[in-house]
Amino acid sequence: MELFVIPLIFALVAAFAPKNVVRYVGLLGAVASLVVTIVHAISFAPEATVSLVDPNYITSFGLTFKMGYDGMGLLMVILTNVMVTIILLANLNQKIANERSFNAMVLLMQFGLIGVFTAMDGIMFYIFWELTLIPIFLISWWYGAPERKQVLVKFFIYTFVGSLAMLLSLMALGTYATDFSHASLVAVTLSAKAAFWVMGGFFLAFAIKIPLFPFHTWQPSTYTVSPMAGTMLLSGLMLKMALFGMIRWMLPLAPEAKSEMTCLVITLGLIGIVYAAIIAIKQSDIKRVFAFASISHVGLIAAGIMLFTKDSLTASFIQIINHSLVAVGLFLAAGILENRLNTREFSQMGGVAKLAPKFAFWFAVIGFASVSVPFTSGFIGEFLLLKGLYGYNWIVGLVAGTTLVFGAVYTLRAYQLSMYGSPKIEGFKDLTWNEMLAFFIISVIIVVLGVYPQVVIDFVGPSLDNLFNSMQASNTLVP
Amino acid sequence: MDALIVVFVTGLISMFIAMAKKPALVLATAVTGLSVAIGLMVCQWSHPYTLVKYEGLLFDHNAIKYSVLAMSFALLVIVGGYSHFKKEAEHTGEYISLLLFSTVGALCMTAFTDMFMFFLGLEILSIPIYVMAGSKKRDVLSTEASLKYFFTGSFATGVLLFGMAWVYGATGSFKLAEIQAAISLGTAQGALLNVGILMMMASFLFKVGAAPFHFWSPDVYGGSPNIVTGFMAAVVKLAGLFAFWKLFTIAFADANAVWGGALAGIIILTVLVGNLSALRQTKFKRLLAYSSIANAGYALLAIINQDTQSQQNLFIYLVGYGFAIIALIVVSLVLDNESDDIEAYKGIGRKNPFIGFVLVLATLSIAGVPPLAGFFGKYMVFSSAFTMYPILVIIAIITSGIGIYYYLRFIMTAMSSEDTENVQTLKPSLLHYIVLAVCVVGLLAGGYISL
Repeated sequence: MELFVIPLIFALVAAFAPKNVVRYVGLLGAVASLVVTIVHAISFAPEATVSLVDPNYITSFGLTFKMGYDGMGLLMVILTNVMVTIILLANLNQKIANERSFNAMVLLMQFGLIGVFTAMDGIMFYIFWELTLIPIFLISWWYGAPERKQVLVKFFIYTFVGSLAMLLSLMALGTYATDFSHASLVAVTLSAKAAFWVMGGFFLAFAIKIPLFPFHTWQPSTYTVSPMAGTMLLSGLMLKMALFGMIRWMLPLAPEAKSEMTCLVITLGLIGIVYAAIIAIKQSDIKRVFAFASISHVGLIAAGIMLFTKDSLTASFIQIINHSLVAVGLFLAAGILENRLNTREFSQMGGVAKLAPKFAFWFAVIGFASVSVPFTSGFIGEFLLLKGLYGYNWIVGLVAGTTLVFGAVYTLRAYQLSMYGSPKIEGFKDLTWNEMLAFFIISVIIVVLGVYPQVVIDFVGPSLDNLFNSMQASNTLVP
Repeated sequence: MDALIVVFVTGLISMFIAMAKKPALVLATAVTGLSVAIGLMVCQWSHPYTLVKYEGLLFDHNAIKYSVLAMSFALLVIVGGYSHFKKEAEHTGEYISLLLFSTVGALCMTAFTDMFMFFLGLEILSIPIYVMAGSKKRDVLSTEASLKYFFTGSFATGVLLFGMAWVYGATGSFKLAEIQAAISLGTAQGALLNVGILMMMASFLFKVGAAPFHFWSPDVYGGSPNIVTGFMAAVVKLAGLFAFWKLFTIAFADANAVWGGALAGIIILTVLVGNLSALRQTKFKRLLAYSSIANAGYALLAIINQDTQSQQNLFIYLVGYGFAIIALIVVSLVLDNESDDIEAYKGIGRKNPFIGFVLVLATLSIAGVPPLAGFFGKYMVFSSAFTMYPILVIIAIITSGIGIYYYLRFIMTAMSSEDTENVQTLKPSLLHYIVLAVCVVGLLAGGYISL
C-alpha cells in the first residue's frame, strides 16, 4: 500500500510547498519511495506473488481492485523509482525544478506508473495507464519548446485512441470472464477469431506507446519539443509500460492469437529497427537522433517479447532496464547540450569535449552502453535477444543484428559531431554535481548489470515460470 | 411527495419574498427549501409513497434516486448562479422561483406512473425554462433562444400529445403498467401503437437534444444566460432521459422491435453529429451544446440496452455529466465574459490554479478519462451494451476518441502559459468556491457509487 501512497502524498505536498524548497520535496518523495521499494525488494522471495490490495470484493461490473506484484512487477517498480529519482536529481539545477506543478506532476506520474506495474486487475491497469498520460502531457505542455502545440495534441490523441482500443478489448474479454482480475482473465479461453480482435486492441494501444513502426509518427517530434525531464520520463518509463503490458497482459490474455500476431509484430519490429536507424543517421537535431534510436531499440525488444519463451522474456527485461538507463542518460546529455547552447542542431555544436572534459567522459560511457559494448548491460540484453531471434529464424536474426552496426554509427556520429571538431562555441559550463551524480548512478547500474545480469534473471525467472504455469493451467498455450 | 410540495411552496414563497428586494433572503429560502426537500426525499427511501386516491405519482427507489440528484443539481445551479441573479436585484426572486418550479416538473417526471402526470411534469419543467432562456431581455440572442426553444418545444409537445393519443387508442389506458400489460398480452392494436410509440420517441429525442432533432440546442444553449444553460444541461436532460428510460424500458419494453432499431440509428447519428460539429466551435457554450448532444447519445446507449443494470448505468452517467457541466458553467460565470469566446479562457487555468484544476477535472471527466466520474459512467454504459450492440459501442468509442480533440483543445487554451501577465486573476465568491468544491468531490468520488 505504501508503495503508491508515498508518491501521491508527496505530490500533494509538492503542490503546496514553498517555491524555494519544492525541488527538495520532489526529490525527497522520490527517494522515500525508492527506499520503501528497496525494503519490499529485500524481503521478497522471487517465486512469490505479493498482494498489496485485495479487498476481496467484486463490484457489479467485475472490478476487483486487486493490486500486487511478482518478480516482474517489482523489478519494474524498482526501475520506476530509480529512474524518477535520477530524473529529479538531474533536473535539480534547472529552472523547471522550482515549479510546484512540475514536481507534483512527476510524482503523480510515478504514482501512476507504480499502479500500472502492480495492477492485477484489467480495469485498474487501464485506469492507471490513462492516469500516467495527464501528468506527462501537462509537463510537456507547460515547459516544452515553443512549437509544441500541434505536436502534443497529436501525441495525446494518438495515445488516447490507442487506449480506447485496449478498453474495447478489455470489455470484450470481460464478457467471457467472471471478473477482471488477472487470474480470471488469463483463465478465459477464446476462439481464434475473438482472440485475434482482443489481442489486436491491446496491440494497438501498446504499439502506439512503444512505438512500433507505423505508429511511431508522434514520437520523434514529441520527444523533441518536451523539456528534458519530459523526454526522460517518456523514453525512460512511459514506453516501458507498453512493453511490460505486452508481457503481463497482451500475450497471456489472448494467447490463442499468438501465432498469427508473432509474425506481424516481429516484421514491424524489424522494419522499425532498420528504418528508424537509417533515419537516425541522417538527423541534424541531437534529440531527434536519440528519439529515432529509441524506436530502433524498442523494435528489437518488442520482437523479442513476441517469441514468448523464458529466455527471450528474461532478455527483454534486461534490455528494458538497459534501454531505460541508456535513454535517460542520452537525453540527459542532449538536454544539457540544449540548455547550455540553446540549440539542438549539430551544425552549431562541436568542440565541447575540450571545454567540458567531465561531461565528455560521462557522455561517452552512456554512448558505449548504447552501442552495446561488452561489460555493459546493453551487450547482454541485445546479445540474448538476437540469439533468441536467430533461433526463431536466421533471416530475422540477421536483420535484427544490423541494429548493432547502425547503433554504433548513429551514436558515435552524434557524439563526434557534438563533442569534437572545431569549437563553434565560446564557453561551456561543465557538469554540476547533481548531473554528475545522475550520470554516475546510471553508469554504475549499467556496468553492474553488464557484469552480473544474473540479478535480473533470478528476479524475473520464477515469476515467468508462474505465468507460464497459470497459462498452461487454462490449457491455452505451451511455450 | 412531501418533497414535491416543499419545493413548490418554496418557489411560491421565494416569489413573494422577492418583493422585499433582498436577494440574499430569496437565496436563503431556496436553499433551505431544497435542502429540506432533499432530506424528506431521502427519508422516504424505505417507505415508497404514492397518492391515495389517484396513483399518478409513485416515489419508488429509482424515482427517489433521480429526484435527489435533480434537486441537488438544482441547488448547485441556484447557489452557483446567485452572483448572476443578484445583478438584477428586482428579478432575483422570479429567476430563482422559476428554477424551483422547473425542478417540481423534474420531480414529476421522475415519479410518474401514468402518461397524464408525465405530460404535466414535462410542461411544468419546460415552461419556466422558456421564460428563463429569454431572461437577458436586452440581448437579441437570448430572445432568439427563448423564442426558438418555445416554438420548437411546443411543436414537440404537440407531437408528443398526438403520440400519446395513438397509444391510448391502441391500448385503452394511460397507465404505464396497463400499457405494458396490453402490449405483452398482444391486445394492443399494432399499427396504432407503433405510430404512437415512434411519435413519442421523436418528441423525447427532441427534449434530450438527439440528432436529427438537435438543431435548437446550440442556439438555445448559446443564447441563454449561462446559468440557464447549466440548468438545462444538468437538470432538464436528467429528467428527460430518466422519463425516456421509464417509458421505453417499462411501458414499451415488449415493443422493442419497433423502436430499438430506430433508436440504434439515432444513437449513431447523435454521437457522430455531436462530436464532429463540436470540433470547429469557437464559442464556449456552443461547444458545451454540441458536447451535450454527443453525451445524450452515450446516455441513450444505456436506455437501448434494457438489462437490469441500465437504470443504474444511466444514473452514474448523469452524475458524472451533471457535476462536470455545473463546474464548467460556474467557471464561465466567474469569468463573466460577454463574448463567450473560447479564446477568452486563454491562460486562466494557469493564472488561477484552483479554477484550472476544476476546469481540467471537469473537462477530462466529460471526455471520459479515468478515474473520474465520467469515465465510470461511460465505462458502465459501454461495457453493458457491448454484448448486445457491439457495433454501436465501437462507434461510440471511436467518437469518444474524436471528442478528446476538442476537450483537449479547450484544456490547452485554459492552461496556456503564454503571456500570463495579461490574464485576469479571477475572484470567485465564497458561494462559487463552495459549488466548485462540491463539484470536484462529485467528480472525484461520483464514479464510486457504481461499485
